[in-house]
Amino acid sequence: MNDIIRRDPRTEWIARNRLHPEHDAVLARMGGSTPAAKWMGPNGIIRRNPHAVGFIGPNGVRRIDRSGAQTANAGASARREAAAAPTRRQIRIETPAFYVAVVADMPGGRLSAHDRDVLGLARQLADEDSAGQGAVLLVSFGESREDALGDAGVDRVVSFAGERFEGYAPEQRLTALGGVERQHEPRHWLFPDSSLGGAELGRRLAARLGERPATQVWQIANGECTGRGAAGATDVTRRLPRIVLALPECAEPVSESTHAAESIAPPAALPQALRRIEDLGAVAVDPSSVALAEAEFILSAGNGIRDWGGFHRAASVLGATEGASRVAVDNGFMPRHRQVGATGTWVTARVYLAVGISGAIQHLQGIQQCDKVIAINTDPGCDMVKRADLAVIADSSEVLAALVELVDGVKKEQRNAA
Amino acid sequence: MLDVVLPVLVLGALALALLGALRRIGLWRQGRPSPVSVLGGLAAMPRRYLVDLHDVVARDKVFANTHVATGGGFVAAAVLLILVHGFQLESRVLSWALIAASVVMFAGALRVAARRRNPPVRLSRGPWMRLPKSLFAFASGVFLVTLPTAGVVPASFGGWALAGVLTLVVAWGIAEMFLGMTWGGPMKHAFAGALHLAFHRRPERFGGGRSTGLKPLDLGNPEAPLGVGKPADFTWNQLLGFDACVQCGRCEAMCPAFAAGQPLNPKKLIQDMVVGMAGGTDAAYAGSPYPGKPVGEHGGDAHSAIVLRGGHEGGRALVDAETLWSCTTCRACVEECPMMIEHVDAIVDMRRHLTMEHGNTPNKGREVLENLATTDNPGGFDPASRMNWAADLDLPLMSARGSADVLLWMGDGAFDMRNQRTLRALVKILRAAKVDFAVLGNEELDSGDVARRLGDEATFQALAARNAATLAKYRFREIVTCDPHSFHVLKNEYGAFGASYTVSHHSTFISSLMEKGRLALGEWTGGRVTYHDPCYLGRYNGEYEAPRKALKGIGIKVVDMERSGFRSRCCGGGGGAPITDIPGKRRIPDMRMEEINATKADVVAVGCPQCTAMLEGVVGPRPEVLDIAELVAAQLVAAPAAAQRAKKDVAEEVAA
Amino acid sequence: MQRDGNRNVTGQERVKVAALVSVGRHPVTGRPRRAEYDARAVEIGLSLATGGNLHLAHAGECSPESEAALRAYLGMGIAGVDVLQQPAGADIVPALEAWLRELGPRLVLCGARGETGEASGLVPFLLAERLGWSLVCGLAAVESVDGDSMIVLQALPRGQRRRLKVRLPAVVTVDAAAQPARQSAFGPARRGGLQRLDTPVTPDGDAQSWTTAPARKRPKRLKIVKATSARDRFKAAAAKAEGGGGQVLTGVSAQAGAEAILKLLREEGVLR
Repeated sequence: MNDIIRRDPRTEWIARNRLHPEHDAVLARMGGSTPAAKWMGPNGIIRRNPHAVGFIGPNGVRRIDRSGAQTANAGASARREAAAAPTRRQIRIETPAFYVAVVADMPGGRLSAHDRDVLGLARQLADEDSAGQGAVLLVSFGESREDALGDAGVDRVVSFAGERFEGYAPEQRLTALGGVERQHEPRHWLFPDSSLGGAELGRRLAARLGERPATQVWQIANGECTGRGAAGATDVTRRLPRIVLALPECAEPVSESTHAAESIAPPAALPQALRRIEDLGAVAVDPSSVALAEAEFILSAGNGIRDWGGFHRAASVLGATEGASRVAVDNGFMPRHRQVGATGTWVTARVYLAVGISGAIQHLQGIQQCDKVIAINTDPGCDMVKRADLAVIADSSEVLAALVELVDGVKKEQRNAA
Repeated sequence: MLDVVLPVLVLGALALALLGALRRIGLWRQGRPSPVSVLGGLAAMPRRYLVDLHDVVARDKVFANTHVATGGGFVAAAVLLILVHGFQLESRVLSWALIAASVVMFAGALRVAARRRNPPVRLSRGPWMRLPKSLFAFASGVFLVTLPTAGVVPASFGGWALAGVLTLVVAWGIAEMFLGMTWGGPMKHAFAGALHLAFHRRPERFGGGRSTGLKPLDLGNPEAPLGVGKPADFTWNQLLGFDACVQCGRCEAMCPAFAAGQPLNPKKLIQDMVVGMAGGTDAAYAGSPYPGKPVGEHGGDAHSAIVLRGGHEGGRALVDAETLWSCTTCRACVEECPMMIEHVDAIVDMRRHLTMEHGNTPNKGREVLENLATTDNPGGFDPASRMNWAADLDLPLMSARGSADVLLWMGDGAFDMRNQRTLRALVKILRAAKVDFAVLGNEELDSGDVARRLGDEATFQALAARNAATLAKYRFREIVTCDPHSFHVLKNEYGAFGASYTVSHHSTFISSLMEKGRLALGEWTGGRVTYHDPCYLGRYNGEYEAPRKALKGIGIKVVDMERSGFRSRCCGGGGGAPITDIPGKRRIPDMRMEEINATKADVVAVGCPQCTAMLEGVVGPRPEVLDIAELVAAQLVAAPAAAQRAKKDVAEEVAA
Repeated sequence: MQRDGNRNVTGQERVKVAALVSVGRHPVTGRPRRAEYDARAVEIGLSLATGGNLHLAHAGECSPESEAALRAYLGMGIAGVDVLQQPAGADIVPALEAWLRELGPRLVLCGARGETGEASGLVPFLLAERLGWSLVCGLAAVESVDGDSMIVLQALPRGQRRRLKVRLPAVVTVDAAAQPARQSAFGPARRGGLQRLDTPVTPDGDAQSWTTAPARKRPKRLKIVKATSARDRFKAAAAKAEGGGGQVLTGVSAQAGAEAILKLLREEGVLR
């Protein structure tokens, strides 16, 4: 789309001049797709749509400009805004001088935020060489559900799908990377330094290729990279090696260009990897046995709980890990290793549902890192309610019972549907 | 016939008793050596018995008199019996004396029997229930067989049948009293108790002294055992001390852990140590068990482990670990023990083994000890942030000053937001009284109290050595602290490492400031106030008066609880008990709060950060918990008024 | 303390297990200590091979400071640690490789990453590659070991687990998901032996050219607003931060409250 705004002083002048014979026609032309404010009805009567008249001013108030110019301009400005909405440059690299390979984690088939950061870093490395334009080569395993790979800065994609790459198959994946190495000889290999993802595969590849990688890298500049050493206590700066394992936020994700993300065929005839690790599948983990520090959904009980049976039932129906306040533990209702807080366990749950917990400072300290906190409490003034993203001021046992009923109902429906 | 049988009986029993005594001494000597003065101890023994021990016994007036009659009567009767019937000394006077002694003893035995008719639960039953009967047998038997010797009845009175019966009665009495004393029986306490007093491991406790600091382990010697893993690892006089136990259960009645239903009973623990020393099981024990642990499942011998490695999985030994970790080291049992047995020393000795050999400190113990070793505070806080609480107070630092009158020891409460309020109040008071004070700031480390009581002597000694080295750099008159645990350790336990200081608890210091008239104070207008004695200030250091004086100084009339002073009940926060956190039926602070509530107080004054934390942890409604420093600081009158009042005082003095 | 989770090892034989340990560094005070992950690796080793079948090695300097840290491993109930003496700046992999070849363990346990030096976490990978052994990362527990394979649980995020069958010999790495290490006791730590072994030294040439500095604080990523008009940029910059008091439902029925909660749980995707 052409984003240069061309002005036509003559039409603007006609639009301002209501008495001009071409006035209506010009307005209609300028109005574009906006609904007509005035038209000839089937019986020859002029009809007006009052809603289509005027425009929304900068303060959100509808303004009517009888001159007609603004109304007409509204369409134009809408067009301008559409043009202004950051358009990405379309970039296609026909013959790359070199490749920068990125092995993304792609949990669930989608790029993670960490992956995008690493792709941004790869983009930086592919574009900075004045001698020739490089291309970012994404190596992905499993089925990709990401439809905007190009927006993340990917020029080429090699994807390895198939049963043998499913689950935990680091050896097979390593052979695949070896194939890519032989076929494309990337100038750099970039991995997200994420546990059970790039961290492992990147180190395996480094060991296989005999390359010394830079790990925990968070900055690349002037041909040098800086990474964390000594468990985050030091910064190690060195010449940029071939294999880099980068931390989240190592670079800005690509946001100004769209790349072709062309699929290229994976290398044919990969050598058969010796299968020394067999994935026997996920283990059903009872949420109640998950360690508190690792749990993603915690249902936590405090002094306000009267119906402990109801609480435990709710935890099992919701599939939540049980937690407790110090008082609930002290009073013997919950075991000590279920205590949440500064003196118990510091938790990192995505959702923390606090039932009947008033929120002592030590307890609030322990749930600092929880994403969403829900409180059920009878006291609207307590600290937990102030902290909570959603607070329900009601009797806890009734709310829990209602919640159990709802979830049970949903489950039954699903079963019936299936 | 009697004059033939009796000498044989008496002297034979004496000989057998002597054999028993040798065997008993052999049992004690399984223990490790301990430096005690044998002759000096024996010489001091009568005084220790008659004065120090009796002071404790006399807390129960009725029973004290009973014991004087029974015990005194028996000792006199026994000596005379040996002379009159054993060696056949023909003396009317001695015979009459013997008759008198047996009558006194009989009278005492009547009281003993009366008490045994419906005994309180703290008393052990079993063999102890037959003791009054044995006492009767001895007293009446001796009385009757002495009648002929005293010339009241003819020597041939009653014929051989009666003589036979009398012989049997006397034999029963002598068996219980003489043989039981050394071969094991209720009367063992007389023999072992007397020697225990003579060879007590803390002779300083007699004659009004006080000795409460734990004894250091020799870590320099790799051969020395780290604490006590088997009964034979105790020192011989500790084993002797266990044997002195009379199973009166006064410790049990005082123990907060026992009352809370935690698996500890100090009396049973001492009896288990006796079982361990002699070998066998606890099946014969006839007192209250450890709550929740049936009697008869535990046993051991002198050379096998007291606590099994790895807890219950490997079966049972003499004692379960949680019994030892239930103790709050409040010393209520030691304070109450009429035999002056050192329960806390024994428990810490065994804990030392669990921590330093097994590496098995329960619950948060591992974390706390690791934190102490790596960050010098139990919470694992950055040691460089110790002074953050006082960022706005501009406290003088010792490192900048070099010397000050008073060194304010902050304690680990400096990291705790609640205790910081107390510290701020204390600083306010010190400033109001224009005390020349300074703090160590970030140079201060944990005093080592918790580490030591959790059995980690190595960490304690490391902390102590480093603290002592820091303190040695500066000149100060005294150390003042608001933490009785630091207070106790600095005052009583650093001395063993060559570092002794004058240390005051802040309540003592505040009350002395008040006496000197350096504080201008208003009057308390709040409600009723009760005071909770911290164990480490009271029982450990005998300071019961100063806190009350300080409160009186601001016009508070303390309403004391039923258990206060030396009988104050622990808050449950001592000895690392909140860290090891052994479950019971109730919580100790809840029980204490009930006692506080019974006084209908609106405020409970405390003098210890641990007590504050434990009592404030009790769910409301409950009285407010305020430190003495906070109460006093709130009554500080603004400086100009103080000056006025001081001027008025001067004017009055001049006028007078 | 974690009391739950099935960590009982069943069907184990006496397998020869090695654990590689390093001198750690406390994150707050920087004092030497046993490295957190290495200690967890030793803990797994102790659950597998009681007695003398667990062999520990440390490659590095043996200064008095590091000795105290190494003794902390002994305090877990280990008889001795082989100290492969390597100066600072040496490549320790060849020395460890030689040690492992000589020892011939079936299983090598390593912490996922050291706490001093480069701490790249590469050593297990290099060893596995050079020895040609299997390698598994993020071990949570070993369920069983038989002749030439073992069944292990691998830790996935959020407490989830995956069961793997791994051919032996194997190198495994252990991180925060494994059971915390037991307490280190003073007595065994003092009694245990540190066997200093002289090993050939391979200098680490690459690392010579690196510069190491205390970690700089990383800049927080700002929310960058891509807007062409100044007004939009201003609006984005001046917008009040989200949050600042959540939604409070007062006086609603239990049913309505439960529905609101359910909606949030669904949005967060924690309901399965």
